[in-house]
Amino acid sequence: MIRALLCLSVMTLLALVLSLATGSVNIALTEIWDVIQGESNALHRTLLWDLRLPRTLAAFATGGLLALAGALMQVLLRNPLADPYVLGLSGGAAVGALLAMLTGMGALLISSSAFAGAMLATVLVFGLAHGTGSWTASRLLLTGVVVAAGWGAVITLILVLTPSYKLPGMLYWLMGDVSYARTPLPALVVLVVATLVTLPLARKLNVLTRGPMQAAALGVSVRPLEWSIYLLASLLTATAVTTAGSIGFVGLIVPHMLRLVLGNDQRIILPACALAGGTLLVLADTLARTMIAPEQLPVGVITALLGVPTFLYLLHRSR
Amino acid sequence: MFKLALTFSLSLLLAVSAQSLVANEGRVCAVDASGKTLCLAAPAKRIATLSPGATELTFAAGAGAKVVAGVNHSDYPPAARKLPLVGNHTRIDLEALLALKPDLVVTWLTGNPPAQMEMLQALGLPMFAIEPRTFEDVSNTIEQLSLLTATQRQGFAEAGRFRAGIAELTARYRNAEPVPVFYQVWETPLMTINNEHLIGKVVQLCGGVNVFADMPRRVPRISPEVVLEADPHVILTGSVEGAVDDQLDHWKNYPGMTSVAKNNLFYVPASPISRPTPRLLEASASICHKLDIARER
Repeated sequence: MIRALLCLSVMTLLALVLSLATGSVNIALTEIWDVIQGESNALHRTLLWDLRLPRTLAAFATGGLLALAGALMQVLLRNPLADPYVLGLSGGAAVGALLAMLTGMGALLISSSAFAGAMLATVLVFGLAHGTGSWTASRLLLTGVVVAAGWGAVITLILVLTPSYKLPGMLYWLMGDVSYARTPLPALVVLVVATLVTLPLARKLNVLTRGPMQAAALGVSVRPLEWSIYLLASLLTATAVTTAGSIGFVGLIVPHMLRLVLGNDQRIILPACALAGGTLLVLADTLARTMIAPEQLPVGVITALLGVPTFLYLLHRSR
Repeated sequence: MFKLALTFSLSLLLAVSAQSLVANEGRVCAVDASGKTLCLAAPAKRIATLSPGATELTFAAGAGAKVVAGVNHSDYPPAARKLPLVGNHTRIDLEALLALKPDLVVTWLTGNPPAQMEMLQALGLPMFAIEPRTFEDVSNTIEQLSLLTATQRQGFAEAGRFRAGIAELTARYRNAEPVPVFYQVWETPLMTINNEHLIGKVVQLCGGVNVFADMPRRVPRISPEVVLEADPHVILTGSVEGAVDDQLDHWKNYPGMTSVAKNNLFYVPASPISRPTPRLLEASASICHKLDIARER
């Protein structure tokens, strides 16, 4: 199993190198080596250090965060269709971001507003599902789905009321795109810390996948565990959405793919999600940047194009 | 019985031909952007304009007093701000439009929703589509509109003024030193225009060389990498009224760019440059002036 993680790490490294080496402007590998040694022309230095490196790292961090959050949500809700956005978090973030764009705020305020929206959505669902005391995973899921539908309506309303010249920015934000990433640092830090935090929890999560009754019988205090997973997954998703808008698909498909290949042991699945999710998004973003370069595609299109056939193949093989 | 019927049909025939004879006297015709000829029995008196550009061009054609409806952002000339609005150019409030009883609807060929336009067509409203893509299209649209409103004198004068102004700028900048220019339509995602776009044509007119002139799409989304590689000497963008001009600040992270080093990051008023109307002339003069400043730095 350690071998699987090592294997994934190598793939991650290869994807990172590929992403740095390709772009709309051709930089030969030897020239990249020159840049690393600090003896190259200014343009190549700017392209590599100021454009490609931050974007690549942001893509990796966002993908990792989404896949990890997706895996946690699937355990928490015991529902294979759960993804990081199922409880309306991306909707809250989108409303925050879109309102900031509508009022003409700058990039930093758009990010902050998106994060605030995501956190508001988390607290709202937490409060509503918690309200009367008794709750189950399905109650949380229903609350989240209904709140998500509410956010969806607000998003549509904002889009309708927005002057058309502001629309392209909003639509691209909703599709999710790594070109929005300003600095990859917060997302990377959250990803690393979260992966380390979930490792000691993984054993309890394994028990939880067998159902709350069994987990309780085996001495796991279910309620606090479930709430901490919920809050952690929310924080991860909020960070991802704040970094690159609501990129779909990664959070749903990557945990499933890994389970098909590696089995359902959270001790392996959770760190593997961080690596594989990041790798998928780095590859997808590289393609999005280069497929019809110098024109750019939204990365969400590519994650789906890469992920759907891979997932269907794995599903077919596993029968 | 037969006689009666014959007399009746004869008189009907006479009445119809008499009416068409009368109508022929005030009959006006014009060719629209889809190539269709629209004929009205009499010059239009109640005109609905379904895009900000359509409103502006109808006013330019001398028919401002006859415009009865605009859409959101129909804000020029100032008199247009007082018009009753019939929604957004992408979503027309058909009830409000019909309630104003227009006898001519000026539509935007590629900007208005086709389904709604078909519905208006089916209701029998006379419709005239506009879509100016060149400087000559702007003059031509104003002339055709003025034919439909019987305001040829003002319309043709305004069209001529625009034509002459563009010709004058063309002559003045024909041999100007070429300047590589990047026009930023949008910051995130980064978008620009090619030379089929009117803004591209303005840049060309002023002796600028649009670094993305040959992109296949009119408004392509591009990577910042290629902008750094192209190293334009001037970066232009539209400045929206009432907003802070900071859309070009992100380029200042790259002091190695010629445009940044020479401080050639310029803002031009967004509404005149992005609307194919006579104000494009003033916007062109403004861009030409910015390029002149850049040439001297």
